[in-house]
Amino acid sequence: MTELTHAFDASALSLRSPATVMDLERLGSFSPTRLSFARRLTRMMFEQKWQVACTELALDASGHGKAIYRLQTPTRRYHVVIFSQHLEDDRRTDRVIAEAWDLTFCLVEGEVDPELMSAMTANVPLQEAGRQHPRLLVISRANKSLRTFQAFIEALAAGQQPNIEHLKQAGYLYRTTAVYGNGKFGIADYDRVKGSEDFQQPFSAQMAAVYVLREFSVDQVEHIAKQSEPGRAVTLNKDTRRYLGIGNSTGLGMAPFLINHPQLISQWVWVRERALAVAVSQSPTEGDREKILALCHRATAYLADTRVEDEPQRARNVEAHTELTQVMAWLEQVPLDDTLWQQLLDWAQTQLSLETQELLTTLLIELYPQQVDSLNDVMGADENLDLTPDMPLIQLKQILETHFDWAIHADYDCEDARYWFWYQSAEKEEPRLGVRGEELGEEKELALAVAPTAQRVYRDLIQLLDEQPRALTVDLVMAFPEHMRVIRRIQTMAATVYGEIRANLWHRDMKPMHLLRAKLSFLGAHRFDPRGDRWVRVTFFQGAPLLSDYADSSTSPDVFDDWGFPVAPEAELTAAMP
Amino acid sequence: MKISLNELQSVCRKAFAGMGFAAGHADDAAAMVAWMQSYGLDGMKALNEGLECVVASAASARPNVIYQDADLAVVDGQHMSVLSSGNLALELAFAKARIRGLSVIKIRHCRQRQLIMGYLSRLADRGMNVTAFWRHSQTPITEQVVGFRANSSVPSIRVFELAESPDDDVPNDGVTIVMANHFDLLPTIRSEDEYTLLARHDESDLLAARHHALAEGLTVDPEVWQQLKGFAAKTLVEASEQSRSGAGPAE
Repeated sequence: MTELTHAFDASALSLRSPATVMDLERLGSFSPTRLSFARRLTRMMFEQKWQVACTELALDASGHGKAIYRLQTPTRRYHVVIFSQHLEDDRRTDRVIAEAWDLTFCLVEGEVDPELMSAMTANVPLQEAGRQHPRLLVISRANKSLRTFQAFIEALAAGQQPNIEHLKQAGYLYRTTAVYGNGKFGIADYDRVKGSEDFQQPFSAQMAAVYVLREFSVDQVEHIAKQSEPGRAVTLNKDTRRYLGIGNSTGLGMAPFLINHPQLISQWVWVRERALAVAVSQSPTEGDREKILALCHRATAYLADTRVEDEPQRARNVEAHTELTQVMAWLEQVPLDDTLWQQLLDWAQTQLSLETQELLTTLLIELYPQQVDSLNDVMGADENLDLTPDMPLIQLKQILETHFDWAIHADYDCEDARYWFWYQSAEKEEPRLGVRGEELGEEKELALAVAPTAQRVYRDLIQLLDEQPRALTVDLVMAFPEHMRVIRRIQTMAATVYGEIRANLWHRDMKPMHLLRAKLSFLGAHRFDPRGDRWVRVTFFQGAPLLSDYADSSTSPDVFDDWGFPVAPEAELTAAMP
Repeated sequence: MKISLNELQSVCRKAFAGMGFAAGHADDAAAMVAWMQSYGLDGMKALNEGLECVVASAASARPNVIYQDADLAVVDGQHMSVLSSGNLALELAFAKARIRGLSVIKIRHCRQRQLIMGYLSRLADRGMNVTAFWRHSQTPITEQVVGFRANSSVPSIRVFELAESPDDDVPNDGVTIVMANHFDLLPTIRSEDEYTLLARHDESDLLAARHHALAEGLTVDPEVWQQLKGFAAKTLVEASEQSRSGAGPAE
């Protein structure tokens, strides 16, 4: 994958610099794009004519029981199996330490025979505590958004459509609290999944499972309403169904992923930046200008519809809403020119917030599907951090000075710069942050902070070079075996275009939320609603096509492809911020 | 019990860290065990049979180089597991082969030599032709030769027993590795001495074993698994009310 990256970079496209893009605060301002995994899934399902249908809905009057959905792709058959159960309110928590959930579900490769069903019934509801079958590609669980869930049932049972305001507060009936793939608890390894034509791209199996859960959430509330009022209950209308997403609650557990998969994250960022560079290099037509203005209108309406509890995020949304209005005025007044998009980015960089700058990235990428969509095929990475032991040490020094200058010259001695330490708790191995010198566990710190480690390597390297000017990298690792891991990482990441996330993860001012949002944006999450700086609730697939859309040949292709910035069914596109 | 390859690698990594391996060395040791297990070569058994030695080796990651020049190196393994510093010795040989075309390294007095195959696989993946040779026992003498073609992580393995023992009293507790940058070193037995082939693993057999392991999961001994999880738990911090707040406020 690295070679591919370099081959692309040989072109004349102008990419933004790593110093700009890999800044943690900017990464924490990313919005999902048409290349995000959720958008890719619905496009692929449409292009490949996937057939997805509910084959069993065995629920009691309260909606508890079992449901099975069949997914038929051009090459294989899969099933999503869902177990729904009663859950006492005091057991409902989004944290990983939970032991029970409103529902649990899995994505299975192949048919569901009685033996497999028996194994799943015994183990899937236990999640981490179960021993899962190797034909399961994904396991997950979800809790209800209680108020919305109840309001939907009451409205449908009464023969009415629910008030859309509920979906502006929380755009879903269920939120997942962890979606596991890659061999967790006995399920299939990614090494096997990535060999399949359907799920070879990262997180594609997880997104498919979550997408099907969204469909179940509607089937379930309609079922409960009908059981409650058989003669009066109605089904949800199509517009509201489309505006219903599926939630996700994410905590610090996601943060180590970004640090432990640097090649993958660098590749995702490169794809996004490459797509932006391709878009900016296009000569805009009047039609392109009209299209981006329409997208700006939709984005402002989306922001106006988005209710978040977190005050700082609310302020960022308000600012972005205001600034998008300025962007529209700019677009309407500046003459059409070959360099219009570059002018727009240059102006945005000096005048607009990071939130708005990255919204513009999303909008520009949206303009040119034909030019950027093939980049979706290179979102994977061969993840091997390998040593180059024969590299002269003088060359390793130059690499550190060129690519890790932001890390090796920083001050890690002051109290604020080494404030946090990361560790894993004995409670379900949950990653947590502790204050150095105050909390227990520092001796078991997770080695996530790359920057200070790179500095230690640099200092030891300088010393060895003084003694042995012609030394090789292998001489350094023989002298300092504890540096083996980070030296591999430095050599490997220096060969990528975007390299490392540029942050000191120990620093008191470091915001873990930025790490979470960066990853979630690539998955396709929107409606970022942080709960403090270590938890965030988001929504997936709001505005996405429905299973019935795939089955209806008269559905417009736009339904499958153009659903970014979902807007409430009755919203005015010029909606003001509440 | 059945586990996934990712689980095996992840629990081994944490277990080695819990024993005291430095982070990069815990990664490598875990990959070496997982590689063997995934190719049906029972890495867990090899690990378990020398677990005490692995624990004792955890803090000694620096190999003792007795002799080296541009092409050769002799390293004293200090009767430790190859999991502890075999990776560094092999990187030393890799660097020499890259520069000189061919290198030879002898690691004397080391334990759990089977596990070294996992690291040789990584070197082969990085474009190096690799052959390793060692003797298992004195009487009768059994020999094992493992060869990797450059850019292939799957070896050919031969284990054979010699009918007659030569007059030799040097302890058979070392391993010799030859690396070549530009030509292959695959094991083809041609011997005038009488021998019995005890085991033969070709690339196709090993690939089939790996496909099976990925499709059906890896079978491991539950007791050994629990023992590894016990070591892994040493990396975890006991929960407290204060630590719970370290994951953010409760909802």
